[in-house]
Amino acid sequence: MKHTTKRALALYVLVVAFFAGAVILTVTLYVNGGNWASNRVNRHLYSGGQLVSAGSIYARDGEVLAKSDGAKREYAKNKALRAATLHTVGDTAGFIATGMHSVYKQELSGYSFINGVYLLKEYGRGSDIYLTIDPKASIAAYQALGNNKGTVGVYNYKTGEILCMVSTPTYDIANKPKDIAENLEKYEGVYMNRFISGLYTPGSVMKVMTAAAAIENIPDIYTRPFECTGKLQTASGVVTCPSVHGKLDFEKAMNKSCNSVFAQVAIELGKEKIQAQADAMGLNAAFKVGRAMTAKGTFSLATANDLDLGWASIGQYTTLTNPCRMITIMGAIANGGVGLSPFAVDRIVSPTKTVTQRGTTTVSTVLTINAVTAQKLKELLRSNVKNSYGDSRFPGLQMCGKTGTAQVQDGKEPHAWFVGFSQRADLPLAVVVVVENGGSGAGNAIPIANKVLQALV
Amino acid sequence: MKQAVVKINNYKWWLMLAFVTAFQLLSAMPVVFEDKQASAALVPIFAGLIAVEWAYFIVNRLITKRQDFELEMIAFLLCGTSIVIAASVNTGYALKQLIAVLLGLAAHIVLLIILRNVDTAMFLRVPVAFASIGLLVLNLLLAKVTNGTLNWIEVAGFSIQPSEIVKIAFIFVGAVTLEKLQSTQSLTKYLVFSVTCIGALFLMRDFGTALIFFFTFVVIAFMRSGDIRTLFFVSTGALLGAGLVMYFKPYVVTRFATYRHIWESINEGGFQQTRVLIYTASGGLFGLGIGKGKLRDIYAASTDLVFGVICEEWGLLLGLAVLTLYGFLAVYAIHASRRASSTYYSIAAVSAAGLLLFQAALNVYGITDLLPLTGVTLPFVSRGGTSMICSWALLAFIKSADLYRQNNNIKPSVPRAQPQNTGRLPSTGNNSNSTGRRQSG
Repeated sequence: MKHTTKRALALYVLVVAFFAGAVILTVTLYVNGGNWASNRVNRHLYSGGQLVSAGSIYARDGEVLAKSDGAKREYAKNKALRAATLHTVGDTAGFIATGMHSVYKQELSGYSFINGVYLLKEYGRGSDIYLTIDPKASIAAYQALGNNKGTVGVYNYKTGEILCMVSTPTYDIANKPKDIAENLEKYEGVYMNRFISGLYTPGSVMKVMTAAAAIENIPDIYTRPFECTGKLQTASGVVTCPSVHGKLDFEKAMNKSCNSVFAQVAIELGKEKIQAQADAMGLNAAFKVGRAMTAKGTFSLATANDLDLGWASIGQYTTLTNPCRMITIMGAIANGGVGLSPFAVDRIVSPTKTVTQRGTTTVSTVLTINAVTAQKLKELLRSNVKNSYGDSRFPGLQMCGKTGTAQVQDGKEPHAWFVGFSQRADLPLAVVVVVENGGSGAGNAIPIANKVLQALV
Repeated sequence: MKQAVVKINNYKWWLMLAFVTAFQLLSAMPVVFEDKQASAALVPIFAGLIAVEWAYFIVNRLITKRQDFELEMIAFLLCGTSIVIAASVNTGYALKQLIAVLLGLAAHIVLLIILRNVDTAMFLRVPVAFASIGLLVLNLLLAKVTNGTLNWIEVAGFSIQPSEIVKIAFIFVGAVTLEKLQSTQSLTKYLVFSVTCIGALFLMRDFGTALIFFFTFVVIAFMRSGDIRTLFFVSTGALLGAGLVMYFKPYVVTRFATYRHIWESINEGGFQQTRVLIYTASGGLFGLGIGKGKLRDIYAASTDLVFGVICEEWGLLLGLAVLTLYGFLAVYAIHASRRASSTYYSIAAVSAAGLLLFQAALNVYGITDLLPLTGVTLPFVSRGGTSMICSWALLAFIKSADLYRQNNNIKPSVPRAQPQNTGRLPSTGNNSNSTGRRQSG
């Protein structure tokens, strides 16, 4: 009798396993519920493959970027704005992976773990998303890029708000072109937001990093005399410079973007110090923009010889950089070394008018520049605009910046880059412009940067 | 600790029943008011259910002078949920389900009366065993193919699942008294009976029920012998058997191929499971409201997938509460088995509770893809007559341990001073072991 009653306790094993199952079920629901509920076969949310009454998406000034009229999804009224915000807003079919429609699918559809899709059923709509995106600047960027492929990004380095992220090629989502699948050349990477997911050879914008390494490691860098003969002979080959700059100092070398000087400085510093500086600036790291992850850059000197090191220090060799990463580096320099992570969602408001999420910035942990170096870099970048590009090209902006003309494969025009920021206290904006095969940075990227920033003044 | 126990024992049964009634009224209301035509038919059904509950408890209180009705309360709570869901699908279903509850209650009472005298139960074991095998064989001969399994028999317009009835017999035959345990230390006869039943279920392709029988056999074998080694051999044998089945009947494997891969075939093998998960998530913690779900439009929603309907329409919290009720049944059975006046009740209570809990797990975790989907019902909740009757009958085994308990006035039939060794190995085995140890030392 006693034995039998003791054996009964073994049933507790099953009871425990049973409740463990309940816990696992609840946890998997908590983790995957949003994904499951927003599946296209969920007839609470989808009708004929279309989201029923998803929430709206608004621009900074309250302009509608996307809204639902019953099962029909409508976009911005202005055609240029639709094209300019395509990659930010995304599409309901999910082609654009980093778009709001994909990343915030749950919220737009009105799902939450606690309420399920109850709010959607009760109020007939999901949560609304208010973006930090400025429509005027977006249109300006889209029009300035014209038929070029590339990207323009602008963010507030004091708050982290992204005001503009335009990627081309793009299309009008209200009249999606039929030839996307056939016209591969014209629509190359059309579903990619190049600001977040793009990777480009940086060219001379990388000199900002090399300059930082020089400032921190060479005490007499500003007073030392340099001479450019149009090339630099290294042990393993020649780094060429577009011009023969003759005798010049470090600041002038930066202004004129002299390859010889920067390659020489990099080789003097050595692989370890340059690599360390690149890593400190997060050039090998990815980071989050809202819920989307940026592309991860590469700056690797592991197998580099002196020639490779020379080229890497001026943004060539195997180096690839993400535009969003470059803009945060600019932001950090402008902001006394503190790099703030960018975000594009200001707030998410549920149908009950409560703010369920607020966009916040964090101090980037993969981007560290000390305050003194940041100040010196800022002066150099200001000197670039003042002494080389000309303040007249950025009327009233007090710009700091660096151009890049990145050599790509043979026979193609180089990528045109401009990275920079305004020093004006009332205009704390950093900007990045990449024009693929756009020629010279000074010639073709600067005007675009100016047009977009002027739209924000 | 002791105070807490006393408090639980002193609960007011009528207060608890009032709570059950209130819950049932609340949940029935949206269904009744949904549709004027249906409400005329539904009001008497729900009134009937509540009347039956009160009548059962009042009469029971008067006859048995007991007031611990936790088991029945749980069963009625679950049955109420079942009838509400049935009613929200179809008025006719609700009436059938209410009739099933009444028949189940009757089976429960009849079984309790039979079990009152352990000797009667012991005497009936052999005929019941043969009748069960006969029933399964008859099923195999007569049954027609339904839903890929052969487990239904049509009798006068009602479809009956013999395997459900045999579940009751399986425990009835498996449980034994202490005298019997001490006179025959072998499980052989019961093993033969079990293998026959499970084999028949395999032939019917009712793998879910076969698994439930196997699990119940393991529980009963452990309760009877307490010998882990026997269980080890039995389980190895079962694994081997399962391996042979898979080798000779590959379709068995393909039936479980979607397990953990349901999202890759959301419109084929994973159809039911993905819909359960999608709509369970859609329901949130508090549900979308009774009748407002979409899972109900999926095939077998009120039978196999009923847990998903509860989660979607009544909320995940209520779903978890339902699971807690099954857990409570098992814990209650463990406690009751320790107070029972005969080993027969102890074994029956624990194995019946184990069966119910195991079946609930197979159902709930099967449709949510934590376990392979086997298509078994959720006891007391899934729509279906035989399943409901069987659930109530199984509950009688747990109740018997509670009702026919040891008390201070009536001494247990077997004095406690008797030898306690019920293990299968003769004691000499132990001795030789210890000698061996001594030699090596």
